[in-house]
Order: sequence, then C-alpha cells, then structure tokens
Amino acid sequence: MASVAEVKAAVDAALQQVTEGQAAIQAAREKLGEAQQSLAAALDGSASDAVGAAHASLSAADQALEECLGATLLAVEQAQTYTAML
Amino acid sequence: MSQIQELGAQLRAASADLPTGPVTVALERLRSATEILIWVRETSVDPIGVPQLGNATEHAERAAAALRLAQDAIATYLASIGLSGDAAAPPDRDWRAGLERREQPPPESAGQPPPEQLGPWWRRRVAELTEEPPPDAEDADRAGTDTADLLRRVASGVRSGDRARLGRDLHSVQASTGLALSAVTPPVLRRLAGDLLGHEPGPDDVARLRSAAEGRVRSLLPGTSPAVLETLIARICRVPATDAGRPPTHPADNAVTAGVLTGVLLARLGRDVSTLDPDAPDPVRRAEAAEPR
Repeated sequence: MASVAEVKAAVDAALQQVTEGQAAIQAAREKLGEAQQSLAAALDGSASDAVGAAHASLSAADQALEECLGATLLAVEQAQTYTAML
Repeated sequence: MSQIQELGAQLRAASADLPTGPVTVALERLRSATEILIWVRETSVDPIGVPQLGNATEHAERAAAALRLAQDAIATYLASIGLSGDAAAPPDRDWRAGLERREQPPPESAGQPPPEQLGPWWRRRVAELTEEPPPDAEDADRAGTDTADLLRRVASGVRSGDRARLGRDLHSVQASTGLALSAVTPPVLRRLAGDLLGHEPGPDDVARLRSAAEGRVRSLLPGTSPAVLETLIARICRVPATDAGRPPTHPADNAVTAGVLTGVLLARLGRDVSTLDPDAPDPVRRAEAAEPR
C-alpha cells in the first residue's frame, strides 16, 4: 500500500523528468536561435521558395518549443499544488 | 573550394546542427513523466498535470516535425543550386542523444543524503520482476550512477544472461534513475530494432521482433507481464495503442523491460554495450534483414 510519502516521491520523480525535459527544450531553443542566425547570414538575398520554407519551419519549431515549455510549467504547477494538499 | 561549395558546406552544417537531438530527449522525458503521473493518479479525479504534459508533448512533436521540414527545405534548396549529391538528409544521430554523460552536480551538503522515499517501492517491484531479492542495504543506492550507466549495466547483464547480476544492478540505483530508463530507451530501441530488421520498423514487424525478444526477456524478467513487452514492441513498430480501458502499467515494469529489451536487441545484433556510447562510431545498418539468432 502506498503512503503519502511514496505518492509525493513518485510525483517528484515525474517532475524530475519534466525538469530534464525543460532543460533539453531550453538547449534546443538556444541551438535553434544559432541555426536561424547562421542560415539567415548564409542565405541573405535568396528569393528561393525553399529558403522561405526553411525559415518558416524554423520559426514554427521555435514557437512550438516555447509553447511546450509553457505547458510544462503549468503541469509542474498543477502537480505541486496536488502534492501540497496531500 | 568554390563559393557555391562553401555555401553548400555551411548549409549542410547548419542542417546537421539543428537541435533534433535535444527535442527527442525532451519528448521522451515528457512521455516518461506522463507515464509515471498517469500511474500515480489512476484513481484520482485530480489531473495532477497530466493533460498539460500531454499538450507539452504535442508541442514538442510539432517542433520535431518542423525541424525535419526545415532540413527537407534545406536539402531541396541544395538540390536546386546543383548540389544534389550533397542534399541528402543528415544521418540520424539522435538515437543516442539521451545517453550523453552528464556532469554530476556537487552535493548540496556534506554527510549522508536522506533516504530515498521511493527506494523500497522500486526495490520491491524489481524483486517481483527479476525474482532476485534486494541486496544488503550497504550495497544499495550506488552513488553517481546515472540512467545511461544503468542501461549499459543492464545491457551487459542481459548479454551475459546473468539474472542475478541484472537484479543487483537494478536494485542498486535510486528509483528515479531506474524509472528514467523509460525516457532514454525509446529512440535506442527503435534504432536497434531497425538495424536488426534491416529497415525502419513498421506494423508488419511486430511478430518478428516478438519472436526475437520474447524468450530472453521472459527468462530474465520472469515476473513481467507479456503485455508490457507487447506495448514496447508496438511503440517501436509505430502500431497505434490498443490498451484503452486497461489499467496503467506499473512505471517500473515499462522502465525495466525497456532496459532489458535494449540488451536483448544488442545481443541479437552481436554488438557490444560500448556501441551505445554517443561518441562511438555509428553502427552500419545491414541492408538485408538479419535472422534472429
């Protein structure tokens, strides 16, 4: 039978995974920013549709990562509120 | 090098450096966290953050897809300027991204750390799965073992067919370290399965992977339910989940079975555990499917 301490520890174990996921998202966003700058410099002046598509996809990726991070923050808040009530 | 070759080199480098690895790591961490929370909240009406984590996972999946689209667009551009020979998508280097060795944070305070609350829960379940009793207390909680180290140890134990050693290695880590096997193994399993099959695993490969792994997994984990292995193989083969209505699986079962399955696939491929190191040369996939040995 699980104790309150065990339930809290299990939620903590999950939140540790979330924290590591958040760190990976932050790292991804930093690398993505560098890639966007590097591509912008290399492809400056291009009117190619493919270049436009690449830039749009990178912006979409960054937006999705930002929203991902926001959702994890809400999840952490909700889980911590729950364990605080136990 | 001509100017156009130099531009091509820059673009290939930028494409290869896109953060597909960290996004893969984030995705698996979020899935693992969700799995644990679903199990915790089985009978609770409180969502405990599960829907939000589902949203976060969807956003991360969208980010991963957008990065692949960007790589395709760069490849299309390279082809359009006459560098078609160089326009192939960069090789998949992300499958071991979750196994990077991390710097150990310095201890926050001197002395013994407080006992882990989930330790007994984890060891109880490991004992049920492996039918190996926990070791003496002084052998437990091996400090400094991270999940990548644990996966290598588990894979070594599987390779040698030593269930007692497997049990010792699993018992000796903290629960959070063991549970994180669920997060680091999915891309590794998919890659190893693909290497064994000679192609990307699909729904038609379920029976073949099952026959390659089932016996050995059962002999090393006599306490695991066959449904756990089935679920893992279905995920590897991208088969839609059909477990709606079933109670959530114990998180330790998924984590431990995924670790053992990694070792079984490595053994089937005749590969050493060192091939899991992110710095090791990327193994060459055989063109023809291998017969399970």
